[in-house]
Amino acid sequence: MHIPDGFVDLPIAALCGVLSVAVLAVATRRIDGEVPDARAPLLGVVAAGIFAAQMLNWPIPGGTSAHFVGGSFAAIMLGPHLGALAVATVVAIQALVFGDGGLVVLGANVFNMAIVQVYVGYAIYRLVAPYDEFRAAFVAGWLGITAGALTAGLQLGLSSAFEYQLLTTLAIMGAGHLVLGLVEGAITAVVYRYLARARPDLRPTAEPEVTA
Amino acid sequence: MADWLPRGLAALLVLALLAPVFGWAAGQVGYAEPLENAAEVTGASDDAESTGTAPLPDYGVAGLGSAAGTFVSAVVGTALTLLIALGIGRLLGTEQSH
Repeated sequence: MHIPDGFVDLPIAALCGVLSVAVLAVATRRIDGEVPDARAPLLGVVAAGIFAAQMLNWPIPGGTSAHFVGGSFAAIMLGPHLGALAVATVVAIQALVFGDGGLVVLGANVFNMAIVQVYVGYAIYRLVAPYDEFRAAFVAGWLGITAGALTAGLQLGLSSAFEYQLLTTLAIMGAGHLVLGLVEGAITAVVYRYLARARPDLRPTAEPEVTA
Repeated sequence: MADWLPRGLAALLVLALLAPVFGWAAGQVGYAEPLENAAEVTGASDDAESTGTAPLPDYGVAGLGSAAGTFVSAVVGTALTLLIALGIGRLLGTEQSH
């Protein structure tokens, strides 16, 4: 889901960059001075875990696969604002150090994975969690990544490199990640349940100010 | 230090050790994401530009084999992410509250 440079037209890349900076600025403002000292290591380990997990490309035979992205997982573990900053850190390091995702389109990649997946995933989680937390984490992971794939498909389909074939890009990105997202949802739910049982004190709900 | 931190760091090391294994397996099955499929269908594939400035391009290390390069990249990237995210956490921490 990491878009390389040359795929998205400059005005779209610029717009996504502005949007991403604006959302991350608001997120930062919301939680500035609100992160308890005990949560800083959790932010570090969750972000680092997402980086490492993103390197594990699922070897699904048949030509189409993906890797864990983790935006919804970050949102559930850290709250949406801190989650967005965590995934944005990962996406920026991937582009700057490893050339995974372009530099001109860095704002677009941050928008899809660190903003859309994080906030959509979190909203879904909050909606379903009162009924069943495990299923909520699964659906959040599943539909969160699908939402991020759709905004990526939108950016690509409105660009000249993709010959403005918007329906094609939306269909391939949306359908592809709707299916592959089942794995994202499963990982999100299983890891979340394990951590929630092992350490219930680490959940963001233990500190309401972080989830504001 | 949080009591869970050693186990968290150990989990990160396990993920880094798995990276070359998954990298090899992905190569065996011809790993391609929907994004690459969409680029192929619309003829955009050739428009992809390599940024060319990344110190460890494609998670590889010049002079190292594929598996070793992937492992080193996983360790470097994971450690870098850990340090920067820790720093962000401290900057936003309650002690710096204004």
